[in-house]
Amino acid sequence: MGVPEVAGVGMRVTTRATRFRTRTGACVGAAVLAGVLALTSHAGVAGAQATHVFVVQGLSGDPKFRKQFDDATAEVVGAARKKWSVQNENVVVFAEEADAARGIQRASREGIAEGFTALSRRVKPGDMVLVLLMGHGSGEGPASKVNIPGPDATAADFATWLSGFSKQTVVFVNAATGSGDFVPVLAAPGRIVVTATKSAMERNESVFATHFAKALAGDESDSDKDGRVSVMEAFRYATGETARAYTSTSRLQTEHAQVSDSVLARRVAFGGATSNDPRVGALIAERQELEASVAALRGKKASMETDAYERELERLLIAIAEKTKAIRAVGGTP
Amino acid sequence: MRWIAGIIGTRRGVRARTVQLVAGMGAAAIASSAATTACAQERAPAPSAAEGDVANAERLLARGERDAARRAAAAVVSRLAGSSRAVDQIAVGRAYVVMGDAASVRSALSAFDAATRTDPSNPEGELRAGNLFLDKYNAPDARVSFNAVLKAHPTNARAVLGLARVEDFENKGNALATTQKALTLDPALVEARVMLARLFLEAEQYDSAATHARRAIALDSTSLPAWSLLGAEAWLTGDSAAYNTARAAASRLQPRPSDFLVEIADAAVRTRRYAEAVRLASQAVAYDSQSVRALGVLGTNQMRLGQTAEGQRALDRAFALDPFNLWHKNTLDLLDRMKTFKTVTQGRFVLVAPADEADLLALYLVPMLDRAYDSLSVRYGFRAPTPVRLELFSRHADFSVRTVGLAGLGALGVSFGSTLAMDTPSARDRGAFNFGSTALHELTHAFTLGASEHRVPRWMSEGMSVLEERRYGQGWGADASLEYLTAFARGQLRPISQLNEGFLHPRHPEETGFSYYEASLFCEMVEQLKGAKALPAMLVAYRDGLDTPGVFKRVLGMTPEQVDAQFELWTRAKFAKPLAAAVTRDSTVVSDFVKTMRTAVALSGEGAAPANRDSIRALFERALSMFPDYAGPDGPAWHLARLAKERGDNAGALVNVSRVTLGDETAWDANVMEAELREAAGDDAGAIAALQRLLWISPYDVTLHRRMATLATKRNDHALAVRERRAVVATNPADLADARYELARALAATGDVTGARRELLAVLEQAPSFEKAQALLLELRARAGAPR
Repeated sequence: MGVPEVAGVGMRVTTRATRFRTRTGACVGAAVLAGVLALTSHAGVAGAQATHVFVVQGLSGDPKFRKQFDDATAEVVGAARKKWSVQNENVVVFAEEADAARGIQRASREGIAEGFTALSRRVKPGDMVLVLLMGHGSGEGPASKVNIPGPDATAADFATWLSGFSKQTVVFVNAATGSGDFVPVLAAPGRIVVTATKSAMERNESVFATHFAKALAGDESDSDKDGRVSVMEAFRYATGETARAYTSTSRLQTEHAQVSDSVLARRVAFGGATSNDPRVGALIAERQELEASVAALRGKKASMETDAYERELERLLIAIAEKTKAIRAVGGTP
Repeated sequence: MRWIAGIIGTRRGVRARTVQLVAGMGAAAIASSAATTACAQERAPAPSAAEGDVANAERLLARGERDAARRAAAAVVSRLAGSSRAVDQIAVGRAYVVMGDAASVRSALSAFDAATRTDPSNPEGELRAGNLFLDKYNAPDARVSFNAVLKAHPTNARAVLGLARVEDFENKGNALATTQKALTLDPALVEARVMLARLFLEAEQYDSAATHARRAIALDSTSLPAWSLLGAEAWLTGDSAAYNTARAAASRLQPRPSDFLVEIADAAVRTRRYAEAVRLASQAVAYDSQSVRALGVLGTNQMRLGQTAEGQRALDRAFALDPFNLWHKNTLDLLDRMKTFKTVTQGRFVLVAPADEADLLALYLVPMLDRAYDSLSVRYGFRAPTPVRLELFSRHADFSVRTVGLAGLGALGVSFGSTLAMDTPSARDRGAFNFGSTALHELTHAFTLGASEHRVPRWMSEGMSVLEERRYGQGWGADASLEYLTAFARGQLRPISQLNEGFLHPRHPEETGFSYYEASLFCEMVEQLKGAKALPAMLVAYRDGLDTPGVFKRVLGMTPEQVDAQFELWTRAKFAKPLAAAVTRDSTVVSDFVKTMRTAVALSGEGAAPANRDSIRALFERALSMFPDYAGPDGPAWHLARLAKERGDNAGALVNVSRVTLGDETAWDANVMEAELREAAGDDAGAIAALQRLLWISPYDVTLHRRMATLATKRNDHALAVRERRAVVATNPADLADARYELARALAATGDVTGARRELLAVLEQAPSFEKAQALLLELRARAGAPR
């Protein structure tokens, strides 16, 4: 599946399997990645994995849409820098107008191609790449495109440009209208493709981009409250809020987002605190074992008496809560 | 999902169309339609030998001897199928009609069509095709058939009567006038007399109904529909001697008088006596287990009594026998959809609603209805049977099907006694209605219907329901509109003594709304003039079998004419100010109020000069003084509130916006403004009240619940905070874990540690890393004294 073995700062990969490996006695590395501690036993090196953010804003056609795209970009870029600790040089933004002061490049087909070429030179195996497209779509199948200044960029173009990232985990989000046909063109092992619509024919105004950006940047989408937002959590949040936006205004929903690989989308996550303190690492490891026990207990829920289940659940949760307190007490971030 | 059978008009290639409801169409339309075949049979041309055989089959069917009738009909088909004579083809068609299954119905139509092709000069095939279409609920094709007959035979009374039935079925045109035209063409047309009797019965004009039923019997003493209608009239008016006479006559024609009983059952339904309808329809089914009409009335009304499983069984049987019946199909499909609904049972109430809304709506509806139940019990000296079942539908079409079997009903809610049904707020645009007042309105019907043993007329029951709305909630219930007062001033409203017609036969779309309000004003007047016990006493008088004049006489000591005069005077006094300044008797004269408002609105449009604002305000204030209770979104108070807010005069804005929220139960924007103003002024209780009014309009905005919870916590009203936190959870917010954590906090604040712990365990079970919840769990444990 191309899932990297090392979870790094920013985008994270968690799997049930790796959590169980932790329980079997994995050692803690010098740097601890909260919530993905198990993975450090394989890497042993902190920060070996980096996250790269690549945003393309297409032609807006209207100041209202321009503002929507700008706001969504600001949300994602802000979260990448502040919450996921992504380095500035790993954030690339293209828009319909270049703005050197803000580091924004013009979203021409050639410029985007060059951007991907440059990125392919920077990434290392196991790195994460988030590609986020916003704008208006047209065309169908491999010729589906996002409208940008000059010749449009097609799904086939993006497939070509991403071919050099087979050793990275790529989260490709086309939040443009009429984006549905990007999924079959771009789906690949180790790659999650999210589109705002289910087909190229859903071309009405879309609100998915706004909600997906909010999901990546905010805490509300973190449904399991582990401090990270998985792609699936973001997707569910965005689709839920998109549906709510239509329902609340009594409109027929004209956009239906899709995700290509829901299994991988659950594993790949953004955010999470880090610590270099081995005491914190040890406490987090202990807490993760308890969390794994909660997961195991949940699996037995149907076969247990309610009282016994709740007693054991509460015992474990109290123990987890105590660990969290202990982590705080030594200055760590749970 | 079930497939509805359709008759294919072979000449036109038209498949039976979906019937859309127009007000008033329903069981009566089916009843009328079901009678058509029998009517047509009796008007057949002079009999041949084949006709004699088929007439015998029809007689057997009319007597309820279905098996013998089918055998006789099958013999006719077997003998005459393939004949090229029109008279035989018609006989074959009639025989197929007797056989009655879906395939036979289609064969019957083919046979009638063949007869028309064989002998275009004979209208019989086309007439029978028209009646068959109508029998199978296909009014458009029936109309085509009848019009085709009339084109060649303009004075054909049966075709005119057919059109009258189509008009009645579709509730379009004037069925009464068209039936009378048929009678003019053929005064001996028994079916036309029967039709008139039915129309008058439906209009609750019982004397006229009985007169025409008797005339029909005088023309043909073997008319079972005529005896049945006469029996229904006698049953409705409590004339047991006449009822027994009619039943005996009907029993001679049909020894197991299923048709007679189902006619009475239908009459019971029309007067909202659903339990009696079920009893009568059950007897009818016991007499004839294959009577689609009896099974339909039984099933439909069992559902109205909350006997859903029994109702579904009856309707399943009915639909299996008659797969053309759209009413039954729609209802059965709805029941399938309702399997996904959630049932919330709390105390005296059972709430059934779409799963994603049930918990949220129950939070508000059940406590409100519970309080209302207690106060209504005291006021009316009667306790509505419990549990009260409230069904809510997020698709208005589903509510409509639940109520009348078809989409298109304009109402918001309905009461069948202790079974209530209504739209959820999500079924309509926000601000279209207030779901709290609607539920209260329907609950009040459960009391007024119950206290009168379902004999209170509709106008009176509606009036009491609207009055109770006004009594219960700020702004709830209809209020005097400019249009209502204008209609009053111009003498366009019906007098109280004829107000039922305003519900049964509104002359224009606005009349129904006017009638609701007028009826509520009458109830208000009765309370004012005769005291609080007068309205319950009127219900008792109806229960005792008195008609409206009798009720007026016993309780009010007045004749209908005196009531009408008293109400006129009372209304004039109550609305003296707006009647003087806001409306005119002459439609060509514009009132001072309207002129002032028009000027003010024109001046206050986009780009109004700041210098004008004082004069604009003065104009709106002048208008307000003329009609202080005008609370609509286009009224002077709302304009003044907005102007005041724009200039920073929050106190002035509050005074005016409160006028709007006091008088308009769906004033969304005004309540939003009032909540903001009161919160800014530190009036948390007032802000909470405004937020609550908003929630009765639409409870889906999670931010309103959060605001209300925060304000409630600030005021140490932890019970309210818990309710609002529960509401947040019930909206299934994006951050459900956080919502449940907040609920746990609120529960803990009320001292409900067990409930708080339960919520926290549920949250942490799914999100064990949730630090805030962990901390609260530790805190609760410490509070409970457990070792840490």
